[in-house]
Amino acid sequence: MSLIVENVSKRFITKHKKTHTLEKINLEIKPGEFVCLLGPSGCGKSTLLNIIAGLENCTEGRVTLNDKEIKGAGPDRAVMFQESALFPWLRVIDNVEFGMKIAGVPKEIRREKALKYLKMVHLTKFQNSFIHELSGGMKQRVALARALTLDSEVLLMDEPFAALDSQTKNILQMELQQIWWETKKTIIFVTHNVEEAVLLADRVIVMSANPGRVKKEFKIQLSRPRKLENVDLVYVISDVMKTLKEEVEKVAKAEYDSDWNIEKDIILSDSDSDMGIGI
Amino acid sequence: MKKILFYLILIVIWALVYKVGVEVLGIWKPYTFPSPLSVFKTLVGLISDNTLGIAILASMKRIIVGYLISILIGVVIGLTIVRYKYLDENFSALILGLQTLPSICWLPFAILWYGLNESAIIFVIAVGSTFAISISIESGIKNVNPLYIRAARTMGASGIKIYRNVIIPAALPNVISGLKQGWSFAWRALMAGEMLSATKGLGQVLMVGRDLADISQVMAVMIVIIVLGLTVDKLIFGRVEANIRHKWGLNRS
Repeated sequence: MSLIVENVSKRFITKHKKTHTLEKINLEIKPGEFVCLLGPSGCGKSTLLNIIAGLENCTEGRVTLNDKEIKGAGPDRAVMFQESALFPWLRVIDNVEFGMKIAGVPKEIRREKALKYLKMVHLTKFQNSFIHELSGGMKQRVALARALTLDSEVLLMDEPFAALDSQTKNILQMELQQIWWETKKTIIFVTHNVEEAVLLADRVIVMSANPGRVKKEFKIQLSRPRKLENVDLVYVISDVMKTLKEEVEKVAKAEYDSDWNIEKDIILSDSDSDMGIGI
Repeated sequence: MKKILFYLILIVIWALVYKVGVEVLGIWKPYTFPSPLSVFKTLVGLISDNTLGIAILASMKRIIVGYLISILIGVVIGLTIVRYKYLDENFSALILGLQTLPSICWLPFAILWYGLNESAIIFVIAVGSTFAISISIESGIKNVNPLYIRAARTMGASGIKIYRNVIIPAALPNVISGLKQGWSFAWRALMAGEMLSATKGLGQVLMVGRDLADISQVMAVMIVIIVLGLTVDKLIFGRVEANIRHKWGLNRS
């Protein structure tokens, strides 16, 4: 019983060239595991998540959940997007109930359950607000509550905190850790932020770009609950960072002029070269 | 209160211009420039002998029938275009063209088809607003944020459920403004049609005013037309729109 990604490849064919977004990805994710997909932009990590979600098709290979092949999106794999994707014509509580409404859950049961999860993300006060009245962090909380009501085994998260300010992001990361601990869900979390990945994941999968491959896997064997300021966490972060940096540099080199170098600008030389002037 | 005062001032200015322009200097003849008082008197006269009541009733009946027909056809055309890519690519330009054609241009066509009667005017009204409505349906649905549809799919919605629960409510702001635009086109078409070919209705009363060289009646009917248009706009579309804008948070610019 687990989520298995087998030999998944994805190619886009445009007029001029074939692009390998993903090439032969193999992953096995155990139930209850928290996995982060980490990589530079353009490495296909979001594409992989969309394939698992069933929102995109892969060119080759297959994804199975509990031995059943995934074909199309479905409520057994809840998804949280970078933008909350909440519906502006519905109140908060109706947004949270949406999945259950589609599934045909009766009104009272659905209201009760929606309130339970709104409580879990601490937003019961805002149940009758409209979406535009919420801040970015609150929107993502509602989106999380909405995803949790589906009772899916798997929760897929596509850079859900990337657009938030760092304080809000920190709070939400801690709460996500807590909620994952309580609900025992399998979480696949896409991010480009190393700290976030190491803080949250049991396993960090670093991906490389062009073509998108699994470059390296890190098992994060740190005790929970984790905090960003823990020293051991900082150590692991720098380790993962080293691997990621190579990839980021590779991507940047492909984009910028050939004279660009990541190390060059580290020492900032003063133009009047009078280094001791302020002493 | 402020608004009432504003209109009072406007009427006073009108009365002053009349006094100076017609009575003192004689720039205009009394049959080209009515005084507010004579317009008011005519208005009361038109109301009390029920000319206005009958005319409004006749006009309203026409526009409601014509408008409902245009909503029906407009929605069907809009949805069909969205559904079939071939139509979208080829038919859209034609619809845009038809929309720019002033609907009164259809009147000769309508008279040849239906003769000089109700059907001809209703046809002109329906044609006037159908295309605006179908274009708004089409663009409303096309502009639905694809993220909403993706999110709904991951929550198990598909097919008709996505249409009912996501696409229609998401397209509603666009559709409402299209319906509003359609209404104003229908209203114009109605007046033009009545002035040219009707035996009753507001447009016809307006033309009678011209035939009798009674500028007061012309002005009085024009004012009634403005008030009616404004009322429908504020009471029906205004409310629906305000409600949607409030929900979506579009009021904070």
